[in-house]
Amino acid sequence: MTEKNAVWQGTLSLMVLRTLLAMGEQHGYGIARRIEQTSEGKLSINYGTLYPSLLRLEQEGLITSAWGVSDNNRKAKFYKLTRSGRKQIEHDTRQWAETSAIMTRFLASPEHR
Amino acid sequence: MRALRAWISRIAGFVRPGKAEREFAAELESHIEMHTDDNIRAGMTPAEARRRALAQIGGVAGVREAHRDRRGLPAIGALLFDFRLGGRMLVKYPGLTIVGGLAMAFAIWAGLVIFQVLGLFTHPTLPLSQGARLVEVRNIDLAANDEEPRILYDFLQWQSMRSLTEIGAWRDSSRNLIVGPADSQPVNATEMSVSGFRVADGKPLMGRMLVEADQQPAAPPVAVIGHSIWRDRFHSDPNVVGRNVQLGNEYVTVVGVMPEGFGFPIAHELWLPLKTDLVDRTPRSGPSITVFALIAPGQTMKTAQAELTTMGRRAAAELPATHQRLEPRIRPFAMMVTPDGPDGAAILYSVYFFVGLLLVLTCGNVGLLLFARAASREADLVVRTALGASRSRIVAQMFVEALVLGGLAAVVGVTAADLALRTWAMTFLKANMNAMPFWFDLGLSPGMFVTAIALTVAAAAVAGIMPALKITRGMTHRLKSNSAGSGGLQFGGVWTVVIVAQVAATVIFPALVYWEQSQLRRFEDFSAGFATEQFLAVKIESDDKERLAPTLEELRRKVGGLPGVQGVTFTERVPTTSRPFKRIELGSNEEPLMNQATVAAVDPSYLETLGAPVLAGRGFTLADAGTRVAIVDQGFVDQVLQGRNAVGQQVRFRYPGPPERRWSPGNPDSPERGDWYEVIGVVRELGAGSPTTAGRAAGFYVPATLDQYDQVHLLVHVGSGDPMAIAPKVREAATAVAPSLRLVGLQRVNQVNDDSAWTMTLWKRMTIALSAVGLGLSLAGIYAVLSFTVARRTRDIGVRVALGASRRRVVAATFRRPLFQITLGVVVGTALVVTMAVLLKYTEFSGSETALTAVDIAMIVAYGVVMLGVCMLGCVAPTRRALKIEPTIALRAE
Repeated sequence: MTEKNAVWQGTLSLMVLRTLLAMGEQHGYGIARRIEQTSEGKLSINYGTLYPSLLRLEQEGLITSAWGVSDNNRKAKFYKLTRSGRKQIEHDTRQWAETSAIMTRFLASPEHR
Repeated sequence: MRALRAWISRIAGFVRPGKAEREFAAELESHIEMHTDDNIRAGMTPAEARRRALAQIGGVAGVREAHRDRRGLPAIGALLFDFRLGGRMLVKYPGLTIVGGLAMAFAIWAGLVIFQVLGLFTHPTLPLSQGARLVEVRNIDLAANDEEPRILYDFLQWQSMRSLTEIGAWRDSSRNLIVGPADSQPVNATEMSVSGFRVADGKPLMGRMLVEADQQPAAPPVAVIGHSIWRDRFHSDPNVVGRNVQLGNEYVTVVGVMPEGFGFPIAHELWLPLKTDLVDRTPRSGPSITVFALIAPGQTMKTAQAELTTMGRRAAAELPATHQRLEPRIRPFAMMVTPDGPDGAAILYSVYFFVGLLLVLTCGNVGLLLFARAASREADLVVRTALGASRSRIVAQMFVEALVLGGLAAVVGVTAADLALRTWAMTFLKANMNAMPFWFDLGLSPGMFVTAIALTVAAAAVAGIMPALKITRGMTHRLKSNSAGSGGLQFGGVWTVVIVAQVAATVIFPALVYWEQSQLRRFEDFSAGFATEQFLAVKIESDDKERLAPTLEELRRKVGGLPGVQGVTFTERVPTTSRPFKRIELGSNEEPLMNQATVAAVDPSYLETLGAPVLAGRGFTLADAGTRVAIVDQGFVDQVLQGRNAVGQQVRFRYPGPPERRWSPGNPDSPERGDWYEVIGVVRELGAGSPTTAGRAAGFYVPATLDQYDQVHLLVHVGSGDPMAIAPKVREAATAVAPSLRLVGLQRVNQVNDDSAWTMTLWKRMTIALSAVGLGLSLAGIYAVLSFTVARRTRDIGVRVALGASRRRVVAATFRRPLFQITLGVVVGTALVVTMAVLLKYTEFSGSETALTAVDIAMIVAYGVVMLGVCMLGCVAPTRRALKIEPTIALRAE
């Protein structure tokens, strides 16, 4: 697979939450870079789409934000998981695991080959 | 919970957008700078590094827009923007605002007035605490398909019902209230069960209400009076309770006064107990009563009806002779003034249809104007589509524009409707109903505002959405073919129909005004043939039919003796009011050209009292009363006898009434002929006909005895001064003769048609308003269509003129289609006017002209030509604009 995949609808939120769980506080640019790195360059993120997604998570109370200073001394807005954000990760992860298991079984069954 | 949180946050963002906007701008900038830093570290030049960073954001403006949408409430933001735009449009196009706004206001006004008045009958509400549970219980005679009012027996049976409580009854008992020797007037009295006070939240202003003990046969006679009687007849006497007053033939003690506004059951002002001995136990007999009750707690209309139906079946089985075809039914109390049956529903639906049609036609026209305006902004709309605005977004915008206009119109419409309801509608209802039910209220109400909002939205939908759908259809196609603004957009077939219908209506309305005016002129021009202003007319009612004739003779003597009275006579109907027509046959066996006579049953002294000399033959003598002689008027001689000698002619009725009242309505299926009347004299025309009936009447006077009248009017001739001045003396005389005589509707004879004239004036004013709106809309519509055409075809006209075509001819060719529509509308309208005129001619008396004369037709055609000219006024400005098009400028514009 040489072409990069676009981020699937609805998965971006979970990726953002997971990234914040792994990295702790992070700014928008950092989150975007991290997602790209985690996918080993196989996912391409239009950085612009990240921000409405972050806003939605914040509006729903899954993350909070505060202004701070980045590693290279730039003023940046940092996002942090809330408790309900953590719960949401558990819930979404479980759901993803189930969905992917179903899909795997489905694709593996001989009559569908 | 999460969704709620998100919404609260969005609302906050919507209310205070500034801070978040600035914050996000800073966040985005920091993102770009960090990305640029990384790119520089990766070896790019600073300029390249920033360019790449921006590219990966994917368009800063777009990201900001997406963020803004998520932050606030974009739909509401857009809506507010549309409202602002709509407001700006009102100011920018003042002509359209005025014409379109007035048209919509008119539609809203008409809808409101009609719905409010109709609502009194279809959805009445009782202003009583238990109003929703108050019902009327009645028996329907299925054989006659009518109500059976003799239900005293059933009333007793129904009292055992579990699903009804406070069951009671009342009957009207109109009587003279005689307060002093000179103050005797009929009052709307009722004999009512005492539960009536309880169901209607009665609390006496003074004294007490009626109680159960008052209903006992041996109880002393008592009465409770209403506020208006207390105020007007007793001059708000604080000691009225305990006073003994005369009510018809009996004396009653006033025991209480009810507060203002209390009128239960309908519009009553004096209450007497419904005596228990009145309750006759014979099924289907006794006086007519009306039964009311409350639905018991825990019960519904349905369960009460079910119980009633069971009782009805049992009664039918036990009393087949009287009750087999009777069906007891229940209905909301306030529905009792609503006409029954499918006719009522049919009227209702036709009224809804009419209001709908009025709204669609009027607002369709406003839509036409908005369409023309939108067409001039087509390029703007195309650009918006190109920028990604969806069709629904543009339709919504145009709807909101129409809604803003409609909102303005609604304010005008509601104000005008309130005024019309308070003044005209109340007067109209009062003129058409004997008394206004106490729950009739046409003041501003929440329901009226809801109706107004619904009408406004409907009006805006018709005026805004229709043209929006039309103009946005195929927008993307026009966008691709680059044809926007160059004539691709066309008025469709629907608009053709709208324009033709509207122009036709414009032609019809002034003709209607003319017709109504000519009807009104009949009232002014109608000559009664005698000095109507010197006569007092009094309708006399009495429950004592047996003794009526001697009582009236006594009254004649008494009133005749009053100072200033020159004559007293009786007549079945007041002159100049409508009287029955009778189909007649002549003794000479010839079929008269006009075979309908207007029959007036009068006292033998009538013609003499009116001061009408006998033109031929002789007048009536006392001995003629009740005999088969008649006097005809000049109208009869001219139209029925074609000017021949009337005296000695034999005349009989084709469909006579019963022998004692030959002139009353007979059975048209019966072959029976009436007795021959011999014409003994001729008088001039004395108001046998009325201004409300078409044509000239052929008066046929028959002398009647006082006991033969169906209804009886006393006419008093007063030599000088206002005859109304003698009214109190006449009342006094009547009370002295018989306290039970009720004098109603005292008026001067020259006033008897005032109510009809008032109603006709009202219709005329409404038609004038309708005409003005119609004409204004038509002219604006024609103007809009032609302006639109010029705007569309500017380049086309320019090219043709440049190629050497005659300027006038090009313009004529351009306007051919709209001019054809206007002409078609005028022709259709004129044809309808002709049809109406012909139909009106046919409704006149047989024997008169039925065809339109050449002069009539020429007048109508001339009128059509004038209306065509008026409609063409709308063409002047656009035509001038088209004629001024310079080819060079027109072509450069593209």
